[in-house]
Amino acid sequence: MATEKLDLLILKTLARASLHGYGIGQEIEQRSEGVFRVTLGSLYPALQRLERDGLIDAEWKASDNNRRARYYRITPAGRRRLAAEQKDWERVSAAVSRILKAT
Amino acid sequence: MLKRLTRRWNELWHGDRLDREAREELAHHLELATAERRGAGADASEARRLARLELGDAEEARERLREGRAGFWLDSVRKDAAYAARMLRKRPGFSAVCVLTIGLGVGASTALFAVVDAVVLRPLPLPDPGTLVAIYDTNPSLAVERSGIATGNLVDWRRRAQRLRGIAGYYTMGRTLTMGQDSEVVLTAQMTEDFFPLLGVTAALGRTFTREETAAALFNTAAAPVGPDPVVVLSHGLWQRRFGGDPGVVGQTVLLERRPCRVVGVMPSGFAMPGPEVELFIPWGFSGEEPRDQHYVSAVARLTPETTLAQAEGELRTVANDLARAYPETNRGWSVRLVSLQEDVVGDSGRTLFVLLAAVALVLLVACANVALLSLARGLERAHEASIRLALGATRRRLLRQFLMESLLVAAAGGVLGAVLAVSGVALLRRTAAGLPRIHEVALDPRALLFACAATAAAALVSGLPYAWRRARAQPAPDLAGTHARVAGAGHGHVLRDGLVIAEVAMAVVLLVGASLLVRSYQRLKAVDPGFDPRAVLVAPIFLDMAGYGGGGKSRTYYATLIERLEALPGVVSAGGATALPASPLGPNFERPVWPEEIPNDPAVRRPAWVRIVTTHYFRTLGMQIVEGRGFDERDAPQGALAVILSQGLARRLWPDGTAVGRRLVVDYSTAGTYPYDVVGVVNDVRFGGPRTEPRQEIYMPHAQRPYLVMNVAVRSSGDPRYLAPAVRDVLRDLDPRKPAHGIHSLEDLLGATYSRDRHAMLVLSAFAAVAVLLSLLGIHGILSHRVRERTREIGIRMAVGADRGHLLRWIAGHGLKLTLAGVLLGSALAAASAQAVSSLLFGVSPTDPAAALAVAALPLIALLVSLHPAWRATRIDPVEVLRAG
Repeated sequence: MATEKLDLLILKTLARASLHGYGIGQEIEQRSEGVFRVTLGSLYPALQRLERDGLIDAEWKASDNNRRARYYRITPAGRRRLAAEQKDWERVSAAVSRILKAT
Repeated sequence: MLKRLTRRWNELWHGDRLDREAREELAHHLELATAERRGAGADASEARRLARLELGDAEEARERLREGRAGFWLDSVRKDAAYAARMLRKRPGFSAVCVLTIGLGVGASTALFAVVDAVVLRPLPLPDPGTLVAIYDTNPSLAVERSGIATGNLVDWRRRAQRLRGIAGYYTMGRTLTMGQDSEVVLTAQMTEDFFPLLGVTAALGRTFTREETAAALFNTAAAPVGPDPVVVLSHGLWQRRFGGDPGVVGQTVLLERRPCRVVGVMPSGFAMPGPEVELFIPWGFSGEEPRDQHYVSAVARLTPETTLAQAEGELRTVANDLARAYPETNRGWSVRLVSLQEDVVGDSGRTLFVLLAAVALVLLVACANVALLSLARGLERAHEASIRLALGATRRRLLRQFLMESLLVAAAGGVLGAVLAVSGVALLRRTAAGLPRIHEVALDPRALLFACAATAAAALVSGLPYAWRRARAQPAPDLAGTHARVAGAGHGHVLRDGLVIAEVAMAVVLLVGASLLVRSYQRLKAVDPGFDPRAVLVAPIFLDMAGYGGGGKSRTYYATLIERLEALPGVVSAGGATALPASPLGPNFERPVWPEEIPNDPAVRRPAWVRIVTTHYFRTLGMQIVEGRGFDERDAPQGALAVILSQGLARRLWPDGTAVGRRLVVDYSTAGTYPYDVVGVVNDVRFGGPRTEPRQEIYMPHAQRPYLVMNVAVRSSGDPRYLAPAVRDVLRDLDPRKPAHGIHSLEDLLGATYSRDRHAMLVLSAFAAVAVLLSLLGIHGILSHRVRERTREIGIRMAVGADRGHLLRWIAGHGLKLTLAGVLLGSALAAASAQAVSSLLFGVSPTDPAAALAVAALPLIALLVSLHPAWRATRIDPVEVLRAG
């Protein structure tokens, strides 16, 4: 999966709720009905990148099963980015599908 | 923003903790994934295996997280450095050669940069130095480009110039300083009251002169102080040298020309105006009647804010024109010229220095290219290493960085060595290049060190990039299979190496051309006939003082006795004195207008002539030729008719179609009146300022008729004149212990000093050229040896199928010759393009002199000889052994 696309999906996922890394992966997998599978090697570097860019925030919290887990949360800057990227994506994907459908 | 910064900070310093946290986070992830798969029915270990399979390696993810952190870069650099250091330690000989080569290059260029920076680039160490200017008189109709100014005009300029904040005049001469029994001649500067305030300098101890002190400081015609209560200011150097830095020196009294003078101040240590050799300052007040036609005063002025040099010059020229109209007798034709003080102090030495700096940069480049070549040749065995690491997944960028790190380390070590060498280089230059202006300011300061760092970084890049580039382009598979050593090489590396050798040879050629031109130019300078014979002559400047020797009789007797006693010394051929001697910097040196008596009152035929007062045997002592009439003798007694001898050039100009001897010449002493002289002889022209200068128009008068206090006494010896120096000192001490000579030098040394810059430039450039040629020969040898080693198998096969040794020799040596010729061609083109830069340093040699071509033509021959060694080695390869090994 291209990194920009993964960033967009992570932001979208976090826009609904704060989650730990595993939860983000699960969420993306389920919502895409199994189309996207997120590996460790791509998920965590993406989270690190987004955090560095100030689009998401992270803190250590107790998880459901009472283990320490790192929870990610979208920042206001992240929401703005998400909105912009989403619009962009919709525009691009609509354009792509128009081309593909043309006979 | 702050948060981001703290995060970066944490990444840099708390890598371990972040590592731990990443591990914990990933473990948690895996745990959840495993739990899920167990929920789906798998057993514990199977679930874990599935989760791992599906999610990818946690170790890899952690590695990538680490790479994403800021500290990672630093960390990996540290690792690269340690690795590079290990690799360099493994090959100590090779590393030492590289470090030494770069160290020499960086050291030489840093030392030279320090000189260029201090002498040319840095502004003078005075407040607001950009607004300081020097003022000269010019007279185009008399072909006087630059001369001192006249005190009478200076007073008018000061009054009328709006664009100048004051004009200070000064005049330097040697005066006798006596402390206790000890006398010496020190260079003093007498200066008008605004000199120190104008420059913006105050005394380090005590004070400078007051207006009253300056007004009272009057001088007689011999510039000996005659005003009441004379005061002096010491230079820092004299204070240290003669007073041991005594803080209580202010208020003490010293004897200057036998007059007690009160010390009122000491200047700070860096102060070097009007020159670093001036040790004593005395005030100078103008009397009401200052002459307008004695152009001997040096002047410095400060521009008012917002004024350009040209504007100020224009204004002063207007004043000069007004003065010429008001005083046509003295001022006709005279105008002024302003030069920035910086330019005035530095002169044209900047050109020489920039040429040398460019040359040393070339040497540094050649040195780096050589290190690059060495690395390329020696790096053969490391192709494997690069391939293995590439195959194991190292990125090319990382590989490039790692190899660059090695050259960076070499360059850094070379830089440190270079800095150490530069320290001694600067010390050496300060000692040997004393003729250079501002040389006392040269130091290895932060700017020079910054330059050394830049030179080192450049060296690292130039010497490291070709090699690192080549290695990083290694192919994982083929190089691993070892095929690189068997087939005739992969193209790129060869182009790179050949290119480096060609560039090296080209740069060596440029330096060689420059050096041979300077050598030729220096030979020409040495071959110039100065009009006198400087060999075996000793010069002793003597400054008699007004108080002890005022009144013509005393100094006449003194010098007559002195010459007689000197000529009585064993080993002395003859002795004679002159107020100013060719190539000697000290002594009264002035011009007076002269004209033939039969053409009076026509300013057009007046010519300025340099006046020299000489003793009877002067011409003989200097080896000059009387070309017409006679020299001075007992006929030119004090009461006899006033006699004069002309220089040949002047005689020809004044009497173009007839003999000068027997005519009468009028000399204008301005306020002191005009006097006619009988021309008794004509003497050959002399290049007074040394071989680089044109002969001056001079008149000589006998000392018996015009006794002078200050004389340069020349002694011609039958052997090495330096052995005479102690005997000459003894005679002087015996005559008057308070009148020692101000340094005794051989005339040959003095003459040599007038073109010492040419000598230095020639020696330095020759050394540079030699180093560059040597390095490029090493480069050719290295690349050919490498070629032979690399193609051992090919050579073996060629020999096996019948190639003879001669063919092999031609093949290998021919390659060397081809590279050399290409380098020579390129270098010659570069040298031709840069010829303009050196042409200003040359004397009597055109930049296209055949001498340079000859030196360059010799290079391919030497290169061919050097090529023969690796070529010969190629013929020693045993084909059987090679084929078996293959």
